[in-house]
Amino acid sequence: MAVYVKDLIRISHNWVDTHTCDVTTRGWILRLLINITASVVYPPLDDSCPSTTMASLSEEVLLVLKKVRQRKQDGTLYLMAERIAWGPEGKDRFTVSHLYSDIRCQKISPDGKAKIQLQLVLHTGESSTFHFSNDSSALTDREAAKDLLQQLLPKFKKKANKELEEKNRMLQEDPVLFQLYKDLVVSQVISAEEFWANRMSTTNTENTLSDKKQDVGISAAFLADIRPQTDGCNGLRYNLTPDIIESIFRTYPAVQQKYGENVPHNLTEKEFWTRFFQSHYFHRDRISTGALDIFSECAKQDEKGLKSMVVQGVKNPLVNLLSLEDKTIEEGYGFSAAASTSNPNRTGKENSNSAIIKRFNHHSAMILAAGSRRGDAPNDQASETSSTDGNSRDSDLFQPPIKKVKLQEAIDYLDLQREDGPKTVALNLKKSDRYAHGPVPLESQKYTTSQDIINSITCIRHEMANYVPNLAQVLTSSAVSSAIAALSPGGVLMQTGTQQAINQMVPSEVQGELKHLYIAAGELLRHFWTCFPVNSPFLEEKVVKMRSNLERFQMTKLRPFQEKVQRQYLSANITGHLEEMLQTAYNKLHAWQTRRMMRKI
Amino acid sequence: MDATKPKRRRKRHHTATEIDEQLFVSHFINLQLHFVINKDELNLLVIVMDVNPIWWGQQAQREPEFTLSKCLDAVMVMGNSHMAMTTTNRLAVISSHFQDSHFLYPCKNWTGGDGAWDGTMDEAPYCGDGKYELLSVANNVVAEEMKRVMSTTEMKGNSTDTLLAGSLAKALCCILLKIVTFFSAGQEMKSRILVIKTAEDCARQYMNFMNVIFAAQKQNILIDACVLDSDSGLLQQACDITGGLYLKIPQKIALAQYLLWVFLPDLEQRPQLVLPPPVHVDYRAACFCHRNLIEIGYVCSVCLSIFCNFSPICTTCETAFKIQLPQMMKSKKKKLKQSI
Repeated sequence: MAVYVKDLIRISHNWVDTHTCDVTTRGWILRLLINITASVVYPPLDDSCPSTTMASLSEEVLLVLKKVRQRKQDGTLYLMAERIAWGPEGKDRFTVSHLYSDIRCQKISPDGKAKIQLQLVLHTGESSTFHFSNDSSALTDREAAKDLLQQLLPKFKKKANKELEEKNRMLQEDPVLFQLYKDLVVSQVISAEEFWANRMSTTNTENTLSDKKQDVGISAAFLADIRPQTDGCNGLRYNLTPDIIESIFRTYPAVQQKYGENVPHNLTEKEFWTRFFQSHYFHRDRISTGALDIFSECAKQDEKGLKSMVVQGVKNPLVNLLSLEDKTIEEGYGFSAAASTSNPNRTGKENSNSAIIKRFNHHSAMILAAGSRRGDAPNDQASETSSTDGNSRDSDLFQPPIKKVKLQEAIDYLDLQREDGPKTVALNLKKSDRYAHGPVPLESQKYTTSQDIINSITCIRHEMANYVPNLAQVLTSSAVSSAIAALSPGGVLMQTGTQQAINQMVPSEVQGELKHLYIAAGELLRHFWTCFPVNSPFLEEKVVKMRSNLERFQMTKLRPFQEKVQRQYLSANITGHLEEMLQTAYNKLHAWQTRRMMRKI
Repeated sequence: MDATKPKRRRKRHHTATEIDEQLFVSHFINLQLHFVINKDELNLLVIVMDVNPIWWGQQAQREPEFTLSKCLDAVMVMGNSHMAMTTTNRLAVISSHFQDSHFLYPCKNWTGGDGAWDGTMDEAPYCGDGKYELLSVANNVVAEEMKRVMSTTEMKGNSTDTLLAGSLAKALCCILLKIVTFFSAGQEMKSRILVIKTAEDCARQYMNFMNVIFAAQKQNILIDACVLDSDSGLLQQACDITGGLYLKIPQKIALAQYLLWVFLPDLEQRPQLVLPPPVHVDYRAACFCHRNLIEIGYVCSVCLSIFCNFSPICTTCETAFKIQLPQMMKSKKKKLKQSI
């Protein structure tokens, strides 16, 4: 395992340098990595040599590529069943070897470059680059290596890595957890599995929620976004991306139809789009000029679609579109009778205006319909909106239920519905005066005879009849001084106040340490106490182990802290409570063990 | 009034009602002036004194050096000190008796030093020591009212318990009335109640007491307690809930000193002083059957009454219960009625 440790040390150092700062974390990161990768144990190798020898490998070699350079050194690349390795020319050992499970991804240099390279990026962030320098077959070599890796890497992407990342993420996000981890696992008080045992179950549920993705809709301005750029010499250049093309097809199925018909049989894609943009179909004034244009049919289809949409009307019976018409009072109030739209001699301008408005409406309706169509047009028989896109569908069947639902929604008010609460039982109190009696014991009152009462009253009456306020003789100095003594710190009445607040006794760093101790102790005690009642042999072992963990914690953490505090801040017993808690745990275990012994006997 | 001292002659220009009207009016004018001059918030202290004659009578026989007179003196000193602190401090004194609760100060029935005011009296109260007139008036009023309360004490019913809950309720009403009055004038008011308690708690006033405490808490009114004789659980709870101070004093003759030291500072000043720490309050409930204070008990889930022992039928609401008996009692299974 010597080589592993060395690699891991190097890797962890690199990672630590980029991520965290101090020396203690290096140690725990090392341990963490060892824990995780311990499951991928490689057969033990000869400890004497610093790197693996080729002869001692018992692994199957899948691909050997000669003349591969790494770090300006010639060598050979070996792809094996579980790892990829490279050894220098003429030498007998691998200087670079990576397990497939360590590799996060591979990268290749772009096609046009002179150097043909393959880069492996590991999970730790480190990367190794291999330069294929075989003159004749460099490209094929590289492709072969890439393809093989592509097949092999997914197999080795173990879940352990994902968990490792998850754990790292959790530790980085929560500093308290991080501190707890440092205190407990790094100092070997408890093992990492126990630490993670309770925490990992909460993280699995979160991953399933992020799998649902939302479909991307169509931008309403997608046609306008294709801004033509002047080509220099009286030409226009349109940039069409696949996204725009997809938007066009989703919004205008007619165009998609035409595309399917003509490309690639009659026209190339470029020509098709050129024609599209040239056609009047695309442009503002859609006055159909001739039948030569392949898109003139589209225009006619659109007209038909628009008409059918208008005929269908709105599904919601409560929406009255007709009320949105211009309502005028009389002529002269912004309304002139001469310009009526039903005039057959419409001017050209009015015609083009109405044409534009028609096109806008159609365009918007198509976009809305495309958004809800979601690409599977033939299966969309049942959706309500599929019939609003103007294409002929049998939508009349579905109108009445929808109308009913809308009407029902409008007349249903929650408050007006009858309240059907659960049946309750009436409360039947027989002696309700019991509640009015305070927490004062019944027989505590002193018994006074009626004679006493009469005596007291007469006495008081007599006294008060002769009462004159004498405010100058209210107090004697002896009484006052004893009262002041009782009220001063340390006096009779101030006894309970000597338990000072901890923030007055020790500085904040010590308080912080105490807080960490409490968190760590709490974690350990939680593990301990959840073992009770001890039902299984696993719990029996665990409870004994926890006791030893607690003792270890007490020895390594609690005692030194206590001594330090007592040395510096005399008579401050701030760890008393912690000791008490630990002692309770020990007592409980002792009691349980004696009971078990008794039962056995 | 001492007969040997010469009586001062003053022009008589006030009737009894006019005097107290003037008192109140002057207070209001003060307030208006304050509203214009400075916006200090008012600080109202209501002292509720337990003057149970039975207890005080017995006390007079037990300990003649500390009697009701001494206690009244101490309370007057406290009241004067409070009013002397700033001009925006106000005082009210309520006596808590077993027959009623009575406002000692301010009072509408002030009759002057010589008995009934019959309109022919031509002298104003005479204090003779050049004291701030407000203080001397207050003292005289308190003394007079106390004498009247004590002289009209009669033992009618059986109850010898001090009506503390009622007095606290009256105090709260007084405070709230003042708050409403001053709130409309734009003045803020902070208030607290100081209870000087002698006799024991009355269990029958528990419900009212708790209501008063929670009402005070809602209105941010402190309830302080100075207890002379035996510890009172209800007052401990009151102080804990409202944030006041509870103190049982060891020496009664030094009452004035304790009052001035502990209860004179108001809420803002208290954190800066070293005052007696809060007592540990016993919040245990009492079981409905024996009235013992218990920590662990059985609660009926229907009527929430507390019992110290399990019984299959709740005696308050007559619901029948089944309970899982522990394993070892399997042989003695009792037949229990099914719950409704």
